[in-house]
Amino acid sequence: MTYHLTLFVIVIILAVIAVMAKNMLFSAIALALVSIGVSLILFTFGSPWAAVFELSVCAGLITVLFISAISLIQKEEKFLNESRIRFMLLPLALIIAAIASWIYIVPFFESLSKYPHLNIHNYPLGQIIWKNRVFDLIGQICILAAGVFAIKSIFPRPVRDTRAKDLLKGAEKVNNK
Amino acid sequence: MTISLLAYLLIPLFSAVLIQFVSRNKENLADIIGNITLFAGLLNISYLIFNPVNFKLSFSNIAQDGFTLLMIFMIYLVAFSVSLFSTGFLTKEKNRHHFHSLILVSVSAMCGIVTAGDFFTLYIFVEALAVASFALIAFDDNEKGIEAAIKYFLLTFPASIFILLGMAILLFTTSTFNFAGLQNIVAGGYLSSPIMSGVILILLGFLIKSGVFPFHTWVLDAYQGAYSPVSAFLAGTITKIAGVYAVIKIAMIFKFFDLKLYKISETLMFIGAASILFGAIAAMRQKDFKRMLAYSSISQIGYIIIACGLATPLAILGAIFHMFNHAAFKTVLFLNGASLEKSLNTTNMEKMGGLEHSMPWTSWSSVIALMSTAGIPPLSGFWSKLLIIVALWEGGAKGYSVTAIGAGIITLAYFMVMQRKVFFGKITDAAKKAEEMPALMLAPVMILCAVIIMSGILFPYCYNYLIETITRTIL
Repeated sequence: MTYHLTLFVIVIILAVIAVMAKNMLFSAIALALVSIGVSLILFTFGSPWAAVFELSVCAGLITVLFISAISLIQKEEKFLNESRIRFMLLPLALIIAAIASWIYIVPFFESLSKYPHLNIHNYPLGQIIWKNRVFDLIGQICILAAGVFAIKSIFPRPVRDTRAKDLLKGAEKVNNK
Repeated sequence: MTISLLAYLLIPLFSAVLIQFVSRNKENLADIIGNITLFAGLLNISYLIFNPVNFKLSFSNIAQDGFTLLMIFMIYLVAFSVSLFSTGFLTKEKNRHHFHSLILVSVSAMCGIVTAGDFFTLYIFVEALAVASFALIAFDDNEKGIEAAIKYFLLTFPASIFILLGMAILLFTTSTFNFAGLQNIVAGGYLSSPIMSGVILILLGFLIKSGVFPFHTWVLDAYQGAYSPVSAFLAGTITKIAGVYAVIKIAMIFKFFDLKLYKISETLMFIGAASILFGAIAAMRQKDFKRMLAYSSISQIGYIIIACGLATPLAILGAIFHMFNHAAFKTVLFLNGASLEKSLNTTNMEKMGGLEHSMPWTSWSSVIALMSTAGIPPLSGFWSKLLIIVALWEGGAKGYSVTAIGAGIITLAYFMVMQRKVFFGKITDAAKKAEEMPALMLAPVMILCAVIIMSGILFPYCYNYLIETITRTIL
């Protein structure tokens, strides 16, 4: 129990750091650490396959993609300074939510332990993915396709927002100096 | 041999990917591929629905029930109308192939939602639809569109957390989230309070996604800020399939009213009634055409939610039919809004007037759609509202049925005011320069108007279809 609790707390702190960090590289590394923590939690809860996927895809592959993308845009990123004081409310809200869930959700889920669990059907992974839940794979492909089209349609466009234009002008001035 | 409906999901997905490769520099090709895919799908599903052989077999030769077929027909009808309309509307847009890809992916995701057999599959497709609609809302790169997209993101993704948590509880307590399995559990009377808390969380998530009264803030900005054809697509199908469809499905499975779960039933009915009244009253005070339609949409969703709260077979029939009708008439109104915007460069109703002379087709199709919205016989909106009101009266919720009738009168009032301001009355300077839209953009509006009129006049056949195919799954 203490082991789980420590892991949970570490994961939540790392997640907050990932959102709040000013340096994008730092943020990406914190996100990778979150994934490692989550995969440890999944291991201890007896789902090794989920843990392996989490570790390899989220902590491995996605972090590599993030870091390579950040290294490409690092130059412009340095000039964007913004006040983040109002975002400090996020950890506060998280603390309140954690205390509330400690009081209500933990006893609720403990009371559920008397119900039968899914483990009754212990199918092998191949059967679950390729037979039982094959329809979900199409959904996953849909999400991937939607994500790719979303990124392609939102990002490659001329800057029209005046604020963004000002920021870019400021960056150019600093560059010229 | 049973006919599978998987092709309705896979072909648009394939076309969406194809468009990206084939028509990168040939935007017209994207228009052609997108429209042909959707038109072929629409023809195909019409053949399945209107084929008398299938009807004689009560659709038992098809993998899913009549409800799913009707929803797929609705999705393809609205998507094709919007796609055809945007071919004329987005002529200057250089990224049209992205637009068509996004429309096709969302059609695919919506078909996945309506053919899903369990909550988890449904959730995955709802997420796919959320990603696609986020991009569609942000497609118009003005500040309003992006703000609306961020609001949509911030409100609907917490809703996903509620749905996930509810599904975890369902899996814990019933070890299934299959619709048939859950129906068996309900029939066996094994419902306990933890199961119900899971259901309530899922319901809350989908209510947020459907944009009813207390959770409506994203709806207004999204409908107003997005490109006008996108608003039509959002109002016509996306919010209905991503939110309201799941609420109807939950009501069909859990039958709150029969099971004496009065608290859930009454809460849903209260939310529905509040939504009807709030939407109708707020719509009266609007000056912007699209914002008024957004409030009207909130009001009409209220009718569906109130019927889901009651969840008697008649109420569910009314809810399903109203959802279909709403898709037809709200798409017409939003597309006409888009025509006005293109021709006058504004959506402010104060600057419009006397457009009946310069835009007669747009004007009279609006009259048909608004009369159907307000529930004037013999148009389709009248019959679905009648079903809901009769069901409410029979179920003993007489107060709510009076509220529904009263709100219908308010709906008629604000649409009359709108019609007078925009299409009749004095001709303004802007209206003098206005021109009627080309036939390409009028065609989808006319098709939808025909659907509104035909499903109203042929209501006995529609009712028969609903009874034959849907009651089998409800009871």
